[in-house]
Amino acid sequence: MKTYEFAGLEFRLNIFNLLFNKTMIIAYVLIALAAFGIYEIFELRYFSTAANAHAAGLDPTNPGLKDAMKLAVFGTVGEVNREVPWTLFIVNYMYMIYTGSGVIFLVALAELMKFRVVERAAAGFMALGLSMVFAGLFTISTDLNMLNMHWMLLDPNVSAGMWLMLPLYLTYIPFVLFEIYLILTKKRELARRLALPILIMSIGVDLVEYYIQAKLFSMNTARHLWTEFPLLTLYFIISAFVSSLGIMGVYSYLVHRKKPEYAHIMDLIRKGILFFISVLALYEVIAYLVVDKDWAFLILFGPFKYLYFLGYILLIMVLPFFLVFRPTESYWKIVLASIFTIVGGYAGRYLFVYGGNANPMSNRFGVGYEKYDLYDIASTFNYAHPHLGEIFIVIGSIGIILAVYKIFDSLFDIARLRDSH
Amino acid sequence: MNYAMALDYQNCINCKACETACKEENGVQLGAHKQRIWVGIVEGSIFGKPFVNLYPSQCNHCIDAPCVSVCPTNASHYAPGGIVKVDAHKCILCKGCMEACPYDARFVDDTTVAVDKCTFCDHRIEKYGTTACQETCPTKVRLFGDLDDEESDLVKLLKTKRFFVQKERSNTLPKLFYIVPNDEAYLRQSVSHDTTIYTWESFKPIYDRASKKRSQG
Repeated sequence: MKTYEFAGLEFRLNIFNLLFNKTMIIAYVLIALAAFGIYEIFELRYFSTAANAHAAGLDPTNPGLKDAMKLAVFGTVGEVNREVPWTLFIVNYMYMIYTGSGVIFLVALAELMKFRVVERAAAGFMALGLSMVFAGLFTISTDLNMLNMHWMLLDPNVSAGMWLMLPLYLTYIPFVLFEIYLILTKKRELARRLALPILIMSIGVDLVEYYIQAKLFSMNTARHLWTEFPLLTLYFIISAFVSSLGIMGVYSYLVHRKKPEYAHIMDLIRKGILFFISVLALYEVIAYLVVDKDWAFLILFGPFKYLYFLGYILLIMVLPFFLVFRPTESYWKIVLASIFTIVGGYAGRYLFVYGGNANPMSNRFGVGYEKYDLYDIASTFNYAHPHLGEIFIVIGSIGIILAVYKIFDSLFDIARLRDSH
Repeated sequence: MNYAMALDYQNCINCKACETACKEENGVQLGAHKQRIWVGIVEGSIFGKPFVNLYPSQCNHCIDAPCVSVCPTNASHYAPGGIVKVDAHKCILCKGCMEACPYDARFVDDTTVAVDKCTFCDHRIEKYGTTACQETCPTKVRLFGDLDDEESDLVKLLKTKRFFVQKERSNTLPKLFYIVPNDEAYLRQSVSHDTTIYTWESFKPIYDRASKKRSQG
């Protein structure tokens, strides 16, 4: 295949191979699901049966109005449920951003610590991490009112929390791309020097993201699970690292399993998983002793208990621990542990977002909690299933990861292990 | 001009005429959870004696409103008279303001696909001088007025009564003033002892400082 060179960077350009290969076909299918999800969300968001008091006066015999009033009285109106405003979009966004930046952080750390084998595989890992960040941004953009998003540029409030992320992403993403460029052009020393700022920015993304969320949530005391969690940033980072290592484990199996370095990479991943799940386990023990008892009971003994113990604790900690505890040459154990940590990490994010919504209380007055819902029968548990559209968008975000990664790989062969010089 | 409202909340009988009037006047979306104003209920018992306190409420139109500062597109903004409003066509539905509001005063209006909230009926102030909720209240719970006008009924009332605001520790400087009931025991049923009870003299300097800060900002 013909190769080209630009700024010292060799790349292959064959449009057919770039767009039509096995990975891209899978990505297209997943992205098509996301497109269908966006259509579903559009229908729900912009064409739901809803009416206001004036419509009732102006055209009282309208059949659409009849449906809208029926929904208003007996059902839940519209896309956003006031009691459960944060949904699967946020779960997926947080998971992708934290886990993706976690992969980049761990690789940058390994570069600084001169783990040669990780250095050689760094371009692929980093491209994968970056693909996850893009998938997170894709998810959150579909959560917003897409028709009004141009106002972000036309009338930005640059001091708003959301805008804090923009300069960070505008620096972080090019820095990671430049790091990949340095690795691909075999400028190893420069790449190692750049690893430190990338390391700091990877944590910066997590810290700023948390700061924005905490700033928002801390005002609304009704949902204080999210702000009372001790050292929440650390918790997010640690739990993300476990899933990040899982992502790296599965990726290594798919891409490097036939290479002689595979054993070394998997052993490092095994040690990493073991270390971080140990820290995470310590964290979990302490955390639920200090959070508000209402939430602790809802999650540990209430409607979330199966998700917490079987979906989260078992998958992200217990099973991986037993699988990777001893050094092994049965690498399928590490791959299996990796899959568990990926799924368990997702369950943890789901639990955290939906758990935060779940306690049906309101503290609107600051003089005590009131019944949240003045018109319905008082509930002890708030939960709203994700919309079908949301689920499709989340599945489709995996297609974004595959597509972005594969484009990198088709152009620059990033899956290849590269020697330092 | 700086519009605000005093609430003699002990008089509330939970008839919800204010909620209905608000929906009618402002064309608010139909639905039990789509409220610009509401009557909150705090229930409890003291030594086995049950009580119910009613707190009519709405957006506090804070002088230092967190919903305005977190809005990435300036859709949430201060309109003339210090009224906090939302430009529906600029709202990207990030829901940040809903979470930032300590009073849980915002909701999503599905007819405009934007966040909606109380506007102090700003479209009718010039003609009628007050809000629909005040005009409809049969027990005269609400009193709307201009804090900058020493001759307004609102300021005159605040000069003669003691009052408190909700969640003062959020430092948002809210502008819904709850009038302390004549029966102090009624107040203490659901208002904690560390809630500051203001008089006009103690409140005025705080308000002046905040207003000055905002006009400079």
